[in-house]
Amino acid sequence: MSNNKTIWHKLGNIDYRWLYALSLICTIIPILYPLGLPVQVSGGTIGYFDAIDKLPAGSVVAVSFGASAQLLDEQEAQFLATWKLLFQRDLKVLFYNPLQDGTLMLQTELGKQVIPASYGKVYGEDYVVLGYAPLGEAGEASMGINIRGVYTTDWKGTPLNDLPMMKDINSAKDIDLLIFVYTSCTDVEFPIRQWVTPYKTPTIIATLGCCGPMAAPYYPTQIQGFLSGSGMGTELEVYGRVPGPGAAMSDAKNIGVLPFLFFFIFGNLSYIGNRYKWGVKKQ
Amino acid sequence: MIWTIATLGTLVASFFILSVLSMLWKDNPVFRIGQQAVIGAATAHYIVLNFESVYKNALKPMMGGNLLLIIPLFLGLLMYTRLKKEASWLARYPTAVLVGVGTGVMIAGTLRGQIIDQLKATIVDILNAPASGGLTVFNTVLILIGTITAVTFFTYTQKHATEKGLTLLGWSAKIGRIFLMISLGANWSGELVWYLTQLIGRLTYLINFAKLLIGG
Repeated sequence: MSNNKTIWHKLGNIDYRWLYALSLICTIIPILYPLGLPVQVSGGTIGYFDAIDKLPAGSVVAVSFGASAQLLDEQEAQFLATWKLLFQRDLKVLFYNPLQDGTLMLQTELGKQVIPASYGKVYGEDYVVLGYAPLGEAGEASMGINIRGVYTTDWKGTPLNDLPMMKDINSAKDIDLLIFVYTSCTDVEFPIRQWVTPYKTPTIIATLGCCGPMAAPYYPTQIQGFLSGSGMGTELEVYGRVPGPGAAMSDAKNIGVLPFLFFFIFGNLSYIGNRYKWGVKKQ
Repeated sequence: MIWTIATLGTLVASFFILSVLSMLWKDNPVFRIGQQAVIGAATAHYIVLNFESVYKNALKPMMGGNLLLIIPLFLGLLMYTRLKKEASWLARYPTAVLVGVGTGVMIAGTLRGQIIDQLKATIVDILNAPASGGLTVFNTVLILIGTITAVTFFTYTQKHATEKGLTLLGWSAKIGRIFLMISLGANWSGELVWYLTQLIGRLTYLINFAKLLIGG
């Protein structure tokens, strides 16, 4: 093999640690010195906000809270902004957790980061937490048919019939909006198949950045809005005027991604240059 | 600064964040310690949560008289027969139940929600597009081409090429592959930003702790 390596070869073999070092620098600087870069609000976020905002007073919102502790940084901005928007309005909120972590996160975040009492909300009358059940798709289907078939008590063991809010809430027909929070990309199909298709329940979803492209095809015909990643969580904070952790991350994300963009360009130039042998003298 | 249990917890968390980040330089013993501690803690965490779940959803109601729950509990226990080779065939029964229930639950919704309604949405969009302006027409046509060509990429019952070269199906599949690559690229970029968000979250944690240490 020739030792006379072309620039394309060298470009494709830059030590990956340069990328990490540059990315760390580009990420840390905006954390220390925020730049206040503008946030563009996308259609999915506006749809998500409108779905909550346009609900009539007294509407019932079910929140399938499939958040994961490992992904807190990606999801926190989304769900904190959502909770604030829900508690600011005259709505009945029903939380349930299809992942074990969801209950744990509700315990640590609800009442500490977002305090329902500060919005005048009372547990059992304005919001209820059902807790964890290993739901999956079959569980979502069961929830739609009969909530009491899945949960007989709330997360603290209080029978649902003893909670005033739950008096008339039995199945999907009593739910005015479903907010489906999930971390496994294909789970977007659960609410589509078990809530939207059979009951036409208005649905909005919140998921990870990588899952957005799988949720987007359902918007706006089958879901009313969607949040993909903390970026759209930030958009919701800005659009809904509910400040939270997303805004602080926004600058770091915008700048931190630049080294990756440059390296994508380098990598592709290197690939094309090597493939078509640019700069190699023909013999 | 007053040292409390919470401060100690933050110090331990910071150590593990740094130990995991040290992998960016190269594999090292500190990274291994962090990795194994995180895996161990996560495993213990989920064992406790799962046991709680079994207790709350099965054992407790059974003690209250709901004896029918012994059926799912028994099926769940059969899953553990996989641990012994001679008895592992027994695990097929709960697997069969899971597959059967899963398929039954999803099939109706899949046909209507994911095939018919998605197709309907594409067609309705095309019919409505001219009223919404040039860009919408362009987007809609693009989606239509993308949908059709991406589907043809997965058509294996016809040959995509003959001795003379690519067939019409082959050309369509080739274009479809470009759409699929763009789609995967979009997924991957979302994944990258997600990792970056996690990194930012942990760096912010470290910076806040450093500020606390120096009294900032």
